[in-house]
Amino acid sequence: MAKARALDKRRKSIQSTRKITHTMELVASAQFRKAMERALAASAYTERIAALVGDLARAGLKVAHPLLEERPQCKSTALLVLTANRGLCGGYNSSILRMGHKRLEELKAEGQAVRHMVSGNRGASYMKFRDVQIDEFFNQFDHHPLFEQVNVIAEGLLTSYLAGEIDRVEVVYTRFISLSKQYATIETLLPLSELANAQNAETETTKGQVDYEFLPSPESILEEVVPMAFKMKLFKCFLDAAVSEQIARRKAMKAATDNADSMISILTTTYNRARQSQITNEIIEVVSGASAMK
Amino acid sequence: MKCIVVTPEKTEVETEAVFVAIPLFDGEYGVAPLHTPMVGRIGAGELRVKTGEETDSYYIEGGFIEVSGDVVSILTSRLVRKGDLSLADSQEALTAARARKAGDPDSMAEKFAAQRNARAQVRVARKWS
Repeated sequence: MAKARALDKRRKSIQSTRKITHTMELVASAQFRKAMERALAASAYTERIAALVGDLARAGLKVAHPLLEERPQCKSTALLVLTANRGLCGGYNSSILRMGHKRLEELKAEGQAVRHMVSGNRGASYMKFRDVQIDEFFNQFDHHPLFEQVNVIAEGLLTSYLAGEIDRVEVVYTRFISLSKQYATIETLLPLSELANAQNAETETTKGQVDYEFLPSPESILEEVVPMAFKMKLFKCFLDAAVSEQIARRKAMKAATDNADSMISILTTTYNRARQSQITNEIIEVVSGASAMK
Repeated sequence: MKCIVVTPEKTEVETEAVFVAIPLFDGEYGVAPLHTPMVGRIGAGELRVKTGEETDSYYIEGGFIEVSGDVVSILTSRLVRKGDLSLADSQEALTAARARKAGDPDSMAEKFAAQRNARAQVRVARKWS
């Protein structure tokens, strides 16, 4: 009897684990949908900013801004690593951290001063385990990064960049391409190179020339557009990371649920066999006992 | 005329409008249909969008306005709807902005900008309450 009972106990525990992983999968799907909607809603602003830069360029303005210029010598870099606050999302955190850590070592090997910024509890515990110093740490961004929160970080980075304390800002995050494709990547946010490229692309296709009236002046508008474009890019990194995290979690939990399902079915078969053989044994005992009585 | 207001997080307003009054960096600016194409810098204050008989009011802070064709697109970093702005919070923001320490020209400019925004917020909150 003992063996069958042990098997049954084990099956029950796997069943309850399956319940948990299944629920987490559902929660992750719901959060993924929300995060995805937010990411889409935010892209409206980014598109309009890009269009505005195109218009400025078409108005004959040379797009030049301290944030767009590559500095001849890069002495210190801010490295921002975006991880999740919680685990149980497959390789999501580890791939980011592996990439971030490698980049950190590279920068240090180049002799640069690195401002190491980490977002997410998982990143913090990894760095603590490896004895890597973290200069700034954030864990207020869950699956729901708010622009206001990102703005604070962006402002800090902009101030130190303009003051010359850092010459470069790099972000390590998981880029969201599509439902089935997300990958860890390192992106250089400062100096901003994309805006100048956008300008070139736009000037080539001079479509529908419109004469804008600028208030107060194109330069003054550019002065504000560029920092905003940087903030939006940073915000997009956070949103992408949030979406990718939920996808990774959903995938991991789906795999766990499927695994539990197959384990349960194997255990059920084994349990049934054990029970069967026990019954057979008992019958044999009864029958042989009865025949011994004759 | 179409009026679209977007913040970094989402598209807040998308409506047909007959008139839009917007706080630019140096004062209020009105946009009626068939306005000349323009791009402007937004200050802080009350944005009024007149849709037929009704007028919707919002508090906005910073950003840009672009008028082109028959579309007014407003990109702002912050938008508060009429019912969500409280006078007490606005006054608190003003006190905080006043108490900011400023040691050099840059932080001075930041402090003044924060004060200006907070004052505009208080003004709008007072008007609404």
